Amino acid sequence: MMKSTAEQLRSTANWPPDVGEIISFKSSNGPETAMLKEVRWGLVWRDFILEDGRVIPEHRVSGCPRPQAWRKISEVTDREREECEERLLLMAGAGMDPRKRDQSFWAELNQYLAYTYLRYKRAGSEAHVTE
Amino acid sequence: MSRPDEENEQQQVWRTLSEAGLVEIRLDEFAERIRDVKRIVIVRLRELLDVNNSVKERESAACSLGTLKGLELKVLASQPPDPSEM
Repeated sequence: MMKSTAEQLRSTANWPPDVGEIISFKSSNGPETAMLKEVRWGLVWRDFILEDGRVIPEHRVSGCPRPQAWRKISEVTDREREECEERLLLMAGAGMDPRKRDQSFWAELNQYLAYTYLRYKRAGSEAHVTE
Repeated sequence: MSRPDEENEQQQVWRTLSEAGLVEIRLDEFAERIRDVKRIVIVRLRELLDVNNSVKERESAACSLGTLKGLELKVLASQPPDPSEM
């Protein structure tokens, strides 16, 4: 069902939820609720960090406005990308498994792959247009 | 409130990532998705080496490629054995 403009405005104005609020989301086990500890921008989208340490991407949280907010690739600094790459290699080196859904390695690797894809796919097509 | 052109752009990002299978990577597809992204970076790196003088952009692409290779090796090493090969 389509939301009215008023409903859309209201949901955007109240978004994201405050730290400490109980949020509803879809986990690998189905619908769940949990306390929100932190909302953090990744390289492409926002992640919701739960009190138990799980990381839930914004689009899986109930009430997320559509279309959801994305970062522009040009907003990500080289330093930020390098730090992300260092963390990923550290987590991989420490033997963490990216196949553990909703954990930090899984979440960060998802965002890094999405960012890298968008950055180089777009840069390539833009270069072809201007050449 | 976001402008209509911003909304279109956001929908475009969602569609691009969904089509590439990169919004939420399936647990058994990490190695494949890393290889897909590596291919995109390699193509771009070749273009940069051929026509572009941006040393910084080249360095970033090369660095990303190195990171992806390292991650691919780790993911492959930690992958459970394929039962059909046992």
